[in-house]
Amino acid sequence: MRIPARWMKVLKEIWENKTRSILVVLSLAIGVATVGMINTAAIYVKRDLFGAFERGNPASLHMYLSPFDEGVAAAVEKMRDVEATQPRRVKTIKFLTEAGEWEEISLNAFPDYEDIQINIPTLEEGRLSLSVREIAIERQSAEALGLRVGDELTLKNDDDRLFAVRVVGIVHDLYVMPYELLGSATAFLSMDTLAWMGDPSQYNRLDIIVSEMRSDRDHVLSVGEKIETQVLTPARHTTYRTEIPGIGSDPGRHWAEDQINGLLLIFQIMGVMAILLSSGLVVNTISAIIIQQIKQIGIMRAIGAVRRQIVGMYLFNVLIFTILGLLVAIPLGLVGAWWLASFASNFANFDIQSINLPLQVLGLQVILGLMLPLGVAMLPVLSSTSISVYDAIYQYGIGTKGKNGFVDRLLIRVRNLTPPVLFSLRNTFRNKARLTFTLVTLTLSGAMFISVFSTRASLSSQIDEISRYLNFDAAIAVPGGSMRATVEREARRIEGVNVVESWSVDSATIQYADGRESEQLQVIGLPHDAQTIDPLLVEGRWLAMGESLGVVINEDLTGVETAVDVGSEITLKVGQKEQTYVVVGVVSKHLSGARVYMTPTMFGRLTNRYNQADSVRVRLDANVLSAPKEQDLLGAQLETRFENAGISRSDSTTHYAIFGDFTDVFDIVLIILIIMAVLLAVVGGLGLTGTLSINVLERTREIGVLRAVGASNTSVRRVVLTEGVVIGFVSWVLGALLSGPAGLVLAAAIVTAMLKAELSYQYSFPGLLIWLVVIGVIGVLASLGPAQRAASLTVREVLDYE
Amino acid sequence: MTNATATILTGNLIQIRNLVKVYPTTAGDVKALRDIHFDIEKGEFVAIYGKSGAGKSTLINMITGIDIPTSGEVIVDQVPLHAMDADALSRWRGEHVGIVFQFFQLIPSLTLIENITLPMDFNNTYRGPAQVERALALLDAVGIAEHAFKVPAKVSGGQQQRVAIARALANDPKVIVADEPTGNLDSTTAAGILDVFSGLVRQGKTLIVATHDEEIARRASRVIEISDGSIVSVKKNSVERVEPVA
Repeated sequence: MRIPARWMKVLKEIWENKTRSILVVLSLAIGVATVGMINTAAIYVKRDLFGAFERGNPASLHMYLSPFDEGVAAAVEKMRDVEATQPRRVKTIKFLTEAGEWEEISLNAFPDYEDIQINIPTLEEGRLSLSVREIAIERQSAEALGLRVGDELTLKNDDDRLFAVRVVGIVHDLYVMPYELLGSATAFLSMDTLAWMGDPSQYNRLDIIVSEMRSDRDHVLSVGEKIETQVLTPARHTTYRTEIPGIGSDPGRHWAEDQINGLLLIFQIMGVMAILLSSGLVVNTISAIIIQQIKQIGIMRAIGAVRRQIVGMYLFNVLIFTILGLLVAIPLGLVGAWWLASFASNFANFDIQSINLPLQVLGLQVILGLMLPLGVAMLPVLSSTSISVYDAIYQYGIGTKGKNGFVDRLLIRVRNLTPPVLFSLRNTFRNKARLTFTLVTLTLSGAMFISVFSTRASLSSQIDEISRYLNFDAAIAVPGGSMRATVEREARRIEGVNVVESWSVDSATIQYADGRESEQLQVIGLPHDAQTIDPLLVEGRWLAMGESLGVVINEDLTGVETAVDVGSEITLKVGQKEQTYVVVGVVSKHLSGARVYMTPTMFGRLTNRYNQADSVRVRLDANVLSAPKEQDLLGAQLETRFENAGISRSDSTTHYAIFGDFTDVFDIVLIILIIMAVLLAVVGGLGLTGTLSINVLERTREIGVLRAVGASNTSVRRVVLTEGVVIGFVSWVLGALLSGPAGLVLAAAIVTAMLKAELSYQYSFPGLLIWLVVIGVIGVLASLGPAQRAASLTVREVLDYE
Repeated sequence: MTNATATILTGNLIQIRNLVKVYPTTAGDVKALRDIHFDIEKGEFVAIYGKSGAGKSTLINMITGIDIPTSGEVIVDQVPLHAMDADALSRWRGEHVGIVFQFFQLIPSLTLIENITLPMDFNNTYRGPAQVERALALLDAVGIAEHAFKVPAKVSGGQQQRVAIARALANDPKVIVADEPTGNLDSTTAAGILDVFSGLVRQGKTLIVATHDEEIARRASRVIEISDGSIVSVKKNSVERVEPVA
């Protein structure tokens, strides 16, 4: 088949300008692939994580109760508001790792593994019909710990007795926080095995699915209250804790659904930005091609082409770019989606069932990747082809007629520079529309780049704020509580320890005047002059010496109890005891949930647990936190000393361990954002190259004149380089201005998605300086090609151009 | 386009009436053409003769519809060009006029044969294999058929100008207009190009050539000399129809 000459012209020119074509195709592909990657990964995550989660009957509510039997569960299930119940016994003990260390493991036991109704785990390997002395391990724990079916595991009970169990199954449980995140293993065994280990044959957690309004938080909690008042309390069972599973998720939703959706939304916005910028690059490239071919357009019109045909040729050119871009982008997006979903699946412990390209994503990619570039390319194509045949053949390349705008007048006044630099400066601002477009592209890239750094700085600042409340080197829990003096004495015996504080913790509710109770909150008893907390007071004051009624609450509590403020009276209820207090201060949010801080004496009165400690916090230096290694050593010493003293067998934690894990997760997200910002910068740089190329083409005669009057190659190159660097610098200034609000929006979105906390915004000045260097490099790199072309123009070629 | 396809009933193929062209510049208006008035008959070989800057190219651009007059009329083959829009002019040019430029103006990315099929493609003439056959025939007629599949950069200036002439003939127009067609060629090559032109006149084409070359002017049947945008003389040469030089 013979291809008509006009289409042949387009195809040959795409082929002859391979570098340019590849750059445009790749930049288009980057945008379209990003959109494909994010949307496809989102679909995989929704299908394979949220879908699988939904299919396993997620609990609306977990209730931690005093030991109960299946009859209680059956009674609760008979309630009209309850769809299903599942009793289980949960217990955290220790096991011996291959490395010879004792680590925590959460054990779960069910009445019948064949008939689990809620939070259903799935068997991956071996079996789930568990006999005595048999255990099944959650698959991520098993993988991380190197455990396989057939291995033997040594468990250690609180009373130091050891039990050998055999691993007979590997189980996938989507309803527990994964080992990668929590650092605690999960396993399943039978009630008989727990009885063999000395536990009562009763359950201590009741999982519940409500029958209606399953995602309504208030309704679910009210059902919990009904269960307690109508079934549990009459049956003389104590409710220790009622919780909606997850990190602030709605009931029945995956524990990280909000966070994952939030991040996906942010990535999607970045993807759309990438595609907008790459479409912009198409505009630049097509403008460059058209300007280069203005005379050809004139000739084609002189030999009979009508404007529609010329427009068709250039749109065909864009169409080829977009089709090639799509051909690269679609598989690239799919690979990217696989990578992103795999990353998420490793992290959140789910399986990707199949890698396929969802039709809706393909449709979106085709619409965005095909229609958007074609749509935006219409602008330069229509405007450039409207030129008259006479102007196209005889007038183009002579330079735009001078328009005396403000910038032009300003530049005319600048005189203390060398002529080549003045030439560059005036060139830069000659075509305002093109300059504006290039600046918009680079400014957006810059603003995004700096915003990512600002988000990082904000997260660090946020973490620093939270860390004020965990202002210790090491801490250890004292389960069941011990005498404050004993605990503190043991901690002080560790060499070098300077600060020792014991804290008491209990759960309480706020008792309202109408008889209702709030969700559960934490009550903390701590010294008024505590040194392991550096509270950020938002309002009022901190606890004073001899405080008898004054309490300090945090913003998590004021967020839920909006009527409570400094000066308010609140009645706290622990068990059956109620006590009314006055709020004297409010401290900032610190990811702890709702809290009330009070003195140890007040805590003792409220809870009837006088002089008891639930945890101890220590510091080597009263003024500065110790280095990570010293913290680790101190933690190990605490564990040994407390175990030897028979006070606690818990694992210690350190300040560094808590925040190190935190920042690792953030860093992964930020790395993805940085990659996207760099891609945007690459697209911006390609746009700048296109603009400079067009400028060189448009100024061919002037460059020829410069050469004719003796300008060296270096001087000509410098003219173009100066132009590139000036544009880069102007975009940097604009990007710096935009990065303030843009960073605020991005950081707020990330912090809200990941921490469910309010933003403490921190602008990144290092990010601003790094972008200055990057944009400088982009300016120079983008100028090199056009500068070389300008320098290689001979005076004869310039004459030919006439 | 009924006017454009109208049958010629009179001998005057081209009628120029009171033509004025003014270019506005920052230094003031420049009158490129001043009240130009003449006719060209079908089959004539007319040379628009004058020095550089006299207004020859401007006048040629008016006759081809590449540029529009400030006032006056340009009627070619009974079609009033001054009243047509840009697209109508393009279509009309494609069908009725072949243009040869001083710098050849071939499309560099297309082969010589593709350059010739391009106007056929734009004007939907000689479809399919007929396009290629005609293009090859035209290349043969101007003597460079063996270079048909080369790109312009691979052939000499004279050969490029022959291709430009072949392209001008692609849609078999009645009128061929050439602006300094030998201005960029050496004398031997230029002579060859003139031979091609002579052949076209013998085939009955109307040929208008803008030139400052006396040799071309001598070969024309009529010479319209212009200076400073005005016609200063109209001279009929004794040779009514030039014979090709062997």
